[in-house]
Amino acid sequence: MNLLEVENLSVSFYRPEGEIEAVKNVSFSLGEGEILAVMGETGCGKSVLCKSILKLLPDIAKIKTGRIVVRGEEITDYTEKQMRKLRGSFFSMVFQNPMTALNPCMSVGEQIVEAVRLRQPGLSGRERKQRAEELMYRVGLDHPRERAKQYPFQLSGGMAQRCVIAIALAAQPSVLFADEATTALDVTVQAQILDLFLELRKTMGMSIVLVTHNPGVAAGAADRVALMKDGELTGIGDVEEIFEEIIHKHNFI
Amino acid sequence: MRKLYISTILYNAGKFALRVFALSLLVFTISRLAPGDPLYAYYGDRVEKMSVAQQEQARERLGLNEPLFIQYTRWLQGAFRGDFGISYQYKTDVKEVIAARIGNTLILGGLGFLLIFSLALWLGLFCAWREDRAADRIICRIGTVTSCVPEFWMSLLLLLVFAVWLDWLPGSGAYSVGKERDAADRAAHLILPLAVVVLGHLWYYAFQVRNRLLEEVRADYVLLARMKGLGGKQVLYRHCLQGALPSYLSMMAVAFPHILGGTYVVETVFSYPGIGTLAYESARYQDYNLLMVVSLLTGTVVIFCNMLARTVSGRIDPRTRVQGFTGGGEVGDF
Amino acid sequence: MKKKFPVLSFIFLTGIVMFCFACGSLMTKDPLYMDLAHCNEAPGKEFLFGTDTMGRDIFSMISYGGRISLTIGILATLLSTILAVLAGSVSGCASARIDGFLMGLTELFLSVPGLLLTVFLQAVFGRANVYSLSVVIGLTGWMSMAKVVRTEVLQLKHTDYVLAAKCLGGGFFHVLFRHLAPNFFPSVLFIAVMNVRNAIVAESTLSFMGLGLPVEEVSWGSILSLSKNALLSHSWWIIVIPGVFLVGTLLCLTNLGNYMRGNANRRHSNLGCRKYD
Repeated sequence: MNLLEVENLSVSFYRPEGEIEAVKNVSFSLGEGEILAVMGETGCGKSVLCKSILKLLPDIAKIKTGRIVVRGEEITDYTEKQMRKLRGSFFSMVFQNPMTALNPCMSVGEQIVEAVRLRQPGLSGRERKQRAEELMYRVGLDHPRERAKQYPFQLSGGMAQRCVIAIALAAQPSVLFADEATTALDVTVQAQILDLFLELRKTMGMSIVLVTHNPGVAAGAADRVALMKDGELTGIGDVEEIFEEIIHKHNFI
Repeated sequence: MRKLYISTILYNAGKFALRVFALSLLVFTISRLAPGDPLYAYYGDRVEKMSVAQQEQARERLGLNEPLFIQYTRWLQGAFRGDFGISYQYKTDVKEVIAARIGNTLILGGLGFLLIFSLALWLGLFCAWREDRAADRIICRIGTVTSCVPEFWMSLLLLLVFAVWLDWLPGSGAYSVGKERDAADRAAHLILPLAVVVLGHLWYYAFQVRNRLLEEVRADYVLLARMKGLGGKQVLYRHCLQGALPSYLSMMAVAFPHILGGTYVVETVFSYPGIGTLAYESARYQDYNLLMVVSLLTGTVVIFCNMLARTVSGRIDPRTRVQGFTGGGEVGDF
Repeated sequence: MKKKFPVLSFIFLTGIVMFCFACGSLMTKDPLYMDLAHCNEAPGKEFLFGTDTMGRDIFSMISYGGRISLTIGILATLLSTILAVLAGSVSGCASARIDGFLMGLTELFLSVPGLLLTVFLQAVFGRANVYSLSVVIGLTGWMSMAKVVRTEVLQLKHTDYVLAAKCLGGGFFHVLFRHLAPNFFPSVLFIAVMNVRNAIVAESTLSFMGLGLPVEEVSWGSILSLSKNALLSHSWWIIVIPGVFLVGTLLCLTNLGNYMRGNANRRHSNLGCRKYD
């Protein structure tokens, strides 16, 4: 059984000017421990696809048709309450810009502890802190205790992104969505973060959906690649297959 | 660290004193440059009965012929001794006139401020939560209309309805004759003025809270917080409010003198014996000694609140509180 | 989301303005004539909106007084706009020290309760007339616009798209009108309309309190200054009818101002499906 299955998913935004179809009839599946890269130009609907699976879209966006199935259970019509349980535990997400994704008025430690508390309500205050430090250590933040007292604006982009990943890991997710998680970072830091993803997959066995517009990122980290264009899925397959096809189609080389 | 703290306090106190001093100089100059004979401020209508020689003598005695600067230093010396001169209209020490009334204004303004402070926060949160739904739209609509009603007319309307037609509430003064110590009676007198003060300001501040929160709600961190499994309302209260609070608190510190200033009109309409009616009377009857002290008093509160606002937002907002090292520097052996 | 033009407000406001400025032909009575035989009369056939405690016809007074109120509103706004543009552009162009001084002054003016400042200034000016009142109100209403103008002027110097427009060979006025004006015009216009509104409120409040125009000089504020006597005699029309005109005008101005402020935010809330909570 696949971890996540999406069948014929269509998502539309209903604006006063009219309907805008952002995702059209997309189907894919995600296996246990798999890294799937969703690749496409900016604005092709990759991000909307992720957010619609997590139901994080604004009220004007609606799932028009299709099914989302998680471990054999359909979640398409889940209420916000049901989704909340799923978000804190089964799914997690890393965002494009770590500087805006972290609350600027809260120390990063507090933000990680909050995520730990929501996932493991039984822990005592000290245990939570310890767990948060553990997570920070795991994503490669040195001096976690001091680091926890800092505010997002005191961190570099790469460190902030590691904090966001620590928050995502606090949920102990089965599926991690990384929405352009490396785009806003320096090239060397990008590579470090990608390595971190690969390592986390190995040690924690989670599946990752890697949304990116960068073919290098997709080729470097993914098992399979899904190509998107104008809201439609134009191809899905192993990395070699897809890149072969692209090169063929565009007469590269 | 402690030393630093004390020096900051001293620095701010010095700045405060300097500003009050500048204010007093300004107010003094303006009030002396104003038309109207300052002699009236001391002798009232009796000036007209004096002969020219007598007037000149009085001027000489009061030092009104001397340069403005000398006059000011003399006034300042008096002020340091606590002598602000005599109110022409009340024929008594300005200090006493003010002392008799300041309590009433503080009760009205203070209560009004507390109510506005808490209600605006609550209303702003509510509207932000219900953004663009019916409740939010209705409240915003009511707010727009109410904000267009001048305070004095709202007072008149409430007086007409509740004091004249229905005769439920008293319409003027701070207490009924002979019931000076009756708390219930005083409270009844407070209801209408307080209602006008609160209704007059509430919407503006609630709007500010709402708009500020709506900005916060659009930030990316809301999505991350929801990813943790928090519900929308929890995100609003725990995360967004935290972002909006520093600016709200500093706004409310600045608002304090404005709300006090708002009570001035209300006090006048309801003949409520406070600083407001005093300011109004002193301006109307050109009672400069009194006008000066009232202006100075208000100005001091304004200066103090502005400084407070800056300190408050600086202390609460981590973005300004934590300084020293920014960017992704090494923590190292810090 | 384009805002809808507030048609109703516009029509209503035009109506009021026409009613006021055509007062000569519309007035049924002389607004200044005190008909002592008809004091405190309720609205009726002869006196459409009744008479005040001094026997003047309220209908004619509203029409006649509105002209003065609106004039003061516009004069004061003109003055405050000129001051704001001057202060804002000087502040934006000049050295940091002058800029700091001007902005400090602006903050100082902003922090003093406006009405108190007006009362103080008016007391200094002595007896009020239409012009002195306009000046006083104008002097107290320039601050927020000055801040907006300053910000825009700073942009004129710094933004990339202005630089880009210049690189493409656009002259100063081309840049100003094609690129900058569309950006700051709505907010300046909005503040200007709000200033008209605030000036009318200030005038009526001052006149009501007896610090502005005297009772003999009819304006919407000074009509209402008699309303304390009206309360005693239960003559509601003296209070309600002029007030409704006043509030109606202010409301229309607010609606128009809000429309001019430009379009609403297109982004949507991230709080998500709130009906389930």
